[in-house]
Amino acid sequence: MTYSQSFMLAHTMAVMKLKSEASKLHLSYLWWVIEPLLFVAVFYVVFEVLLGRGGENFIVFLMCGKIPFLWLSKTVNSGANALVQGKPLMAQRDFPKYVFPLAQIQENLYKQWAVFAILLLFLMLFGFMPTLYWLWLPVLIIVNYLLLVLLTLLAALCVAYIPDMRMVVQMGTMFLMFSSGIFWDIRNITSIEMQELLLALNPLAFLIDAYRQVLMYGNTPDLEHLSWILIISLTCLLLFIGLYQKLSYKIARRLLS
Amino acid sequence: MNQPIAIQARDICVTYQLGSVFRQQLVHHALNSISFEVKAGENFGVLGRNGCGKSTLLRLLAGVVKPDSGTLIVNNINSRHLMTLGLGFDNELTGRDNALLSMMMQGLKKKDAQSRLDEIETFSELDKFFRQPVRTYSAGMRARLGFAVAIQAKTELLLLDETLSVGDQAFKQKAEKVMLERLKGQQTVVFVSHNAEQVNKLCDHCIWIEQGEIKAAGDTKSVSKLYREFMNKLNS
Repeated sequence: MTYSQSFMLAHTMAVMKLKSEASKLHLSYLWWVIEPLLFVAVFYVVFEVLLGRGGENFIVFLMCGKIPFLWLSKTVNSGANALVQGKPLMAQRDFPKYVFPLAQIQENLYKQWAVFAILLLFLMLFGFMPTLYWLWLPVLIIVNYLLLVLLTLLAALCVAYIPDMRMVVQMGTMFLMFSSGIFWDIRNITSIEMQELLLALNPLAFLIDAYRQVLMYGNTPDLEHLSWILIISLTCLLLFIGLYQKLSYKIARRLLS
Repeated sequence: MNQPIAIQARDICVTYQLGSVFRQQLVHHALNSISFEVKAGENFGVLGRNGCGKSTLLRLLAGVVKPDSGTLIVNNINSRHLMTLGLGFDNELTGRDNALLSMMMQGLKKKDAQSRLDEIETFSELDKFFRQPVRTYSAGMRARLGFAVAIQAKTELLLLDETLSVGDQAFKQKAEKVMLERLKGQQTVVFVSHNAEQVNKLCDHCIWIEQGEIKAAGDTKSVSKLYREFMNKLNS
């Protein structure tokens, strides 16, 4: 099976899943929009009404962090089980195993468009009008996507070999939530070294800050840092695909015995 | 018949190790030193009771897993298809979607797969259920869908897992007829069953596997006779 065929297969699986999921709910595809709106409503109640925190822009600030994070954590957590769930299909014939996590990744990606649309809508509602800097958004989304592809491929492989890793993956995404500057501004860390260390070690923290710089503050993201993340992610991606190919029979044996 | 050899298995062993990393609970020799040859275009039978290692052997031949030791050589075969009914379907997806995915997984392009859907719909006789989730199907309906999907695959090596007992009487006859046509054709077929009669009807040569080891091999008549005697002894 060629790479384009495998990708097409994952894409088709994702579209079918979305279709069947939507057909089970009364409000169907509307949930793609309702779900993120409900998230915003929850944030609003907790942070504006209950805590009275952060002033008028806090909601938007929060959304810029929470939305990319939710995309990543949902994909990684659902994708972690992808290989295990693919067992029945795996028993039938040999084909690239990364198709299973990739199908989960694509499923989440296709839902994400509506969510980003909502984000932009809220930005404008709160007076952040589109600027030329918004053109960096697709670049950030691509890097964000690459990052979650890597984490999902890694998580799925780990869970296939050691089921206990599922717990570690959950804890890991939780840790990411607190360490990526979603509820707080990473630039408020007083120690500059600490700030730089966190940004260097946690690409998601960098990305979330970059989303805010681009969408809210009209700044160009740190391009050097961004290209480093891009280069490292692409290299790791190639490595992972090679690893999946190499382990193909071993994964099947592991899961089917 | 002096046909070239399509499949050559030599001393194949497959061992499963069950349990956690810290405590191994069970070591199971699913296949132990199995050797056989299948000629191109031949209908080859594998007889054995449940749990004798048949499924493992089918997975090996389908190229899903590799043996732990021994060699398995498959000559001049570009496409193989493992036909086990009712498995490999996603319950939440419709029969149509499952059929499409199944064909794409065999390596068909999406367009080619789509063009075969009508044929599958007609053959499966699922009517309006073809566009309903598979979870709403009865066992017979699942089997019919599985058969319809499998039979359209044009493959050089067909691996059959007791698939002739499908659905109700009318569908069974239709399935058997199509199957016999296939078996007479040029393709190589490995037919796995616990039923000596079926193997006798369809295959020229066969092996009998018991607890992962070959008990007998040769022409189907004599092997199936030994198998039947063994089974009768078990039951008495």
